Amino acid sequence: MLEVQNLSIEYTTEDGVLKAVDDVSFNLQRGESLGIVGESGCGKTTVAKALLRLLPENGAISGGRVLFHGENLVGKSPDHMRRIRHSKIALVSQSAMNSLNPVYTVGHQIREGILAHSNIGRHAAHARCVEVFGMVGLEEKRLSSYPHQLSGGMKQRAIIAMALSLEPDIIVADEPTTALDVVVQGRILQRIRAIQRQISTSMIFITHDISVVSEICERIIVMYGGKIMEQADSASFFRAPYHPYSLGLQNAFPSITDITGEELVSIPGTPPNLMQEQPGCRFQERCPFATSQCRSRTPPLVKVKSNHHAACWYTDQVNDFRTRARNRDTWEAVRTRIEQQETPQQ
Amino acid sequence: MLAYIVKRLLIMIVMLLLVATMIFLMFRTMPGDPTASMVDPSIPREARQALLERYGLHESLWTQYRIFMRDLVQLDFGNSYFYNRTVLRVIGDRLPATLILMLTAMLFAYTFGILWGAWMAWNRGSRLESVGVTFSLIFRSAPTFWVGLMAIMLFSVTLGWFPAQGMRTTGYVGDSFAEVFLNRDFVRHLILPAFVAGLYFLATPLLIMRNSMLEVMSEDYIEMARAKGLRDRSVLYKHAARNALLPVVTAGALFIGAAIGGQVLIEVVFSWPGLGREIVQAVTRSDYPLAQGIFIIISALVMFMNLVADILYAFLDPRIAYR
Ligand SMILES: Nc1ncnc2c1ncn2[C@@H]1O[C@H](COP(=O)(O)OP(=O)(O)O)[C@@H](O)[C@H]1O
Ligand SMILES: [Mg+2]
Repeated sequence: MLEVQNLSIEYTTEDGVLKAVDDVSFNLQRGESLGIVGESGCGKTTVAKALLRLLPENGAISGGRVLFHGENLVGKSPDHMRRIRHSKIALVSQSAMNSLNPVYTVGHQIREGILAHSNIGRHAAHARCVEVFGMVGLEEKRLSSYPHQLSGGMKQRAIIAMALSLEPDIIVADEPTTALDVVVQGRILQRIRAIQRQISTSMIFITHDISVVSEICERIIVMYGGKIMEQADSASFFRAPYHPYSLGLQNAFPSITDITGEELVSIPGTPPNLMQEQPGCRFQERCPFATSQCRSRTPPLVKVKSNHHAACWYTDQVNDFRTRARNRDTWEAVRTRIEQQETPQQ
Repeated sequence: MLAYIVKRLLIMIVMLLLVATMIFLMFRTMPGDPTASMVDPSIPREARQALLERYGLHESLWTQYRIFMRDLVQLDFGNSYFYNRTVLRVIGDRLPATLILMLTAMLFAYTFGILWGAWMAWNRGSRLESVGVTFSLIFRSAPTFWVGLMAIMLFSVTLGWFPAQGMRTTGYVGDSFAEVFLNRDFVRHLILPAFVAGLYFLATPLLIMRNSMLEVMSEDYIEMARAKGLRDRSVLYKHAARNALLPVVTAGALFIGAAIGGQVLIEVVFSWPGLGREIVQAVTRSDYPLAQGIFIIISALVMFMNLVADILYAFLDPRIAYR
């Protein structure tokens, strides 16, 4: 239903051009739920906005195609896009806390979205609001509340209700629960999953927390520095990830499998500077297993199993990597390496 | 809300009494003798003394103040020395002219300022944006009387489109409110001063609206409105401008006080028979009761407009709950 082909996105800034998304491709089937994970700044939100053609003014799609029902959305007229937004592809944005306009009631804002795409009349629109509020477990009377009268969790559910209101083909949920506390987060995730199955809409679920994906997505994409590092069926991925970055991410988030049995190990170092076009693998600076090959040549996304691809030169050594990645010292060594590289320059 | 309004009105009364006291003292300590302007100083001493006594000016300051305040709470502002009529009547005659001119100018300034300001922010970096900023700042910084005179020269003298002075053509006498204000002659007289005053007022709503819009446009709910597939027009006016309006209202309330100054100049330049011109004349004539009265009325006006702005704000912003 949705085919993203070789999508590249650039931001023009005062300091130069920043390549936020580089050659990203993926498919989304009807009813499927796809998770996109990666550290903050890896381009997840940029991909989401590009699908809706809602990039900020300084951002532009520099290459690739977004095929939605076979139609390329890149280059479609603003009015065409306007009609696709919300009714076909709905967004649950990153900051639900501030995504509701403070001066209108929640009901008004949901109704407004419905009426912008259909002429069913106010009455029917209201009935639909009640219906979707029911789906997310909010009382009907809350429709006449203003955003400031709702708790964070309620606001988030209202936003989800809004996204459901026109039964879109795809819901793009960009970190829908990061602003919430863990308990509320869990409840909302379960609800999203239940609703998504119930109305069999497709979903792109964006998060930096890999454990969330294991709970609700059938497929997963791991992004790093604007590129896809690994792409797989969730089951296959969580049983045996291939990319060193994925191995590192697994260590950093506890609830999937208790790998070390100890405290969490985060990946040392920071994401790459996307301003500089660097040769080689984007992750090599922080990778415990990087070689000179990794520094000079960019690894392509290769098939490692059916429905499982990884962008690493050494997928054949993955068993060894997995064992070593469980060891703290492997990552500590990276930390030392990075520190040593930085010191002489100062 | 109602309780809040009542509370505000009570506070306003206390404030007005304080203002009245200050105004009273201000006029008594000002140089100049009111009797000089009222009564020819060359008349016999006894006659002058009699007049002073008649107006109570021989009493001690404290006694004068007590009488002044006692009358004031009964809404008795005394008699104008110059007009020999009650101050209230003089004010009653002048107030509508001032209000009509001021509200027309404000309406003009706020309508254009808000729409243009919103548009400017939406089309950031366009030519019309810099034109708008420059234009509004020129008319804010240029001396109002000079702009007024230039406008008179261009539109009245050279082009002959509008009359240069006053509120009605000489010889026209109207009795009722409708006869005085609701006719074409009056509107023709109103346009030029209202336009010049409006230009002076324009900068405040225009620039605040523009800044406020720029801020609001980066809010997440604006992106959400776009993501909902609303038309640009809806996003611009229903979401962005609607929220950007809030600081404009607040600033508008604060601006009302400052606007009075501009209003006085406009009335003088255009010989507009309103309170602004009257107060200048009353002060030059040392017409204490009239000047005091006008000052108090203007203070009340400013306070009242502030209250209106606050109430308006509460209607515009559901997050505000007045108690
Ligand atoms: N409007 C923008 N202008 C310039 N750079 C931007 C802009 N928005 C995002 N970026 C940059 O693009 C990269 C990807 O950002 P984003 O898609 O928000 O990442 P994520 O959602 O994964 O945290 C980051 O390096 C970020 O700094
Ligand atoms: Mg993001």
